[in-house]
Amino acid sequence: MISFLRKHKLLSAVASLIVVGALWYLFRPEKLFINKRVSEAAPFAADRDAQPIYTGTLSGKLHETSGRATVYRQPDGALTLRLTDFHTSNGPDVHVVLATADDPGLQSTVPGKALASVEIGALKGNQGDQDYKLPANTDFAQYSTVAIYCERFHAVFGTATLQPF
Amino acid sequence: MNRLQKLTSIAVLSLAATAAFAQSSTPVQTGVFHGQVHSTSGRASIYNGSDGKLTLRLTNFKTSNGPDVHVLLIAANDARDNDNFLKNNVERVELGKLKGNEGDQNYDIPAGTDLSKFHTVAIYCERFNANFGTAPLEKF
Repeated sequence: MISFLRKHKLLSAVASLIVVGALWYLFRPEKLFINKRVSEAAPFAADRDAQPIYTGTLSGKLHETSGRATVYRQPDGALTLRLTDFHTSNGPDVHVVLATADDPGLQSTVPGKALASVEIGALKGNQGDQDYKLPANTDFAQYSTVAIYCERFHAVFGTATLQPF
Repeated sequence: MNRLQKLTSIAVLSLAATAAFAQSSTPVQTGVFHGQVHSTSGRASIYNGSDGKLTLRLTNFKTSNGPDVHVLLIAANDARDNDNFLKNNVERVELGKLKGNEGDQNYDIPAGTDLSKFHTVAIYCERFNANFGTAPLEKF
């Protein structure tokens, strides 16, 4: 075999080129290092429609809570929090607030731990779709958790972690 | 056709296109990617156009580049590995070749696709039967 290759240097060179070429085409190893970035426009008119910019699903803490919380940016820049398919327990002095993900009040399994939160408004209803105005300068990187929060007993009914839409 | 006619016909065409684009399209389902064979992140959302046309949109998307990578809708709750694909026991709807391994991108969903059945997005390398990442969709 070795002597055959020595005798037919050109042939073996061509053969190995073909093998290397086939392996390259099969595995395309350069793609591990080369990125292809695309940036297509959304399939809606961003200048006319409210755009969802963050969303998350609600889950219960001290009371069963479900639904979706979504932050919309209006064409004029105003921010709105919208709850959809929303369901929680009714209670006294319940508020919608924004909190930091690492707030110890969110981890508490018993009422009584106050949240360091940004007030959004009194909960309009314990069921159904509802909108809340958000402060224009809200920092969602810091305040990334929506909490349904009973101020009277410092009880977190449920939370949603906002993730970029 | 003289030049003036050509000009006016182009103007009319572009106007129509603008009008079509202005019609609102709303997200109906959404979910986030988790990486499997390769780390994959971002969001997949299905938009329902006012004309009933469904579009899959990937945002903040990032995966590994690779050969012959496709975007699929699969009839499964989730896919943690390649098993379902290898055994070919998961039904799929092909949405096309992945346009780019990074960035925002849209894919047309064939008319008549049953979204209650095909409710998970998979980024799948056909050549090596490797599931790069999966996004289970939830109601938006």
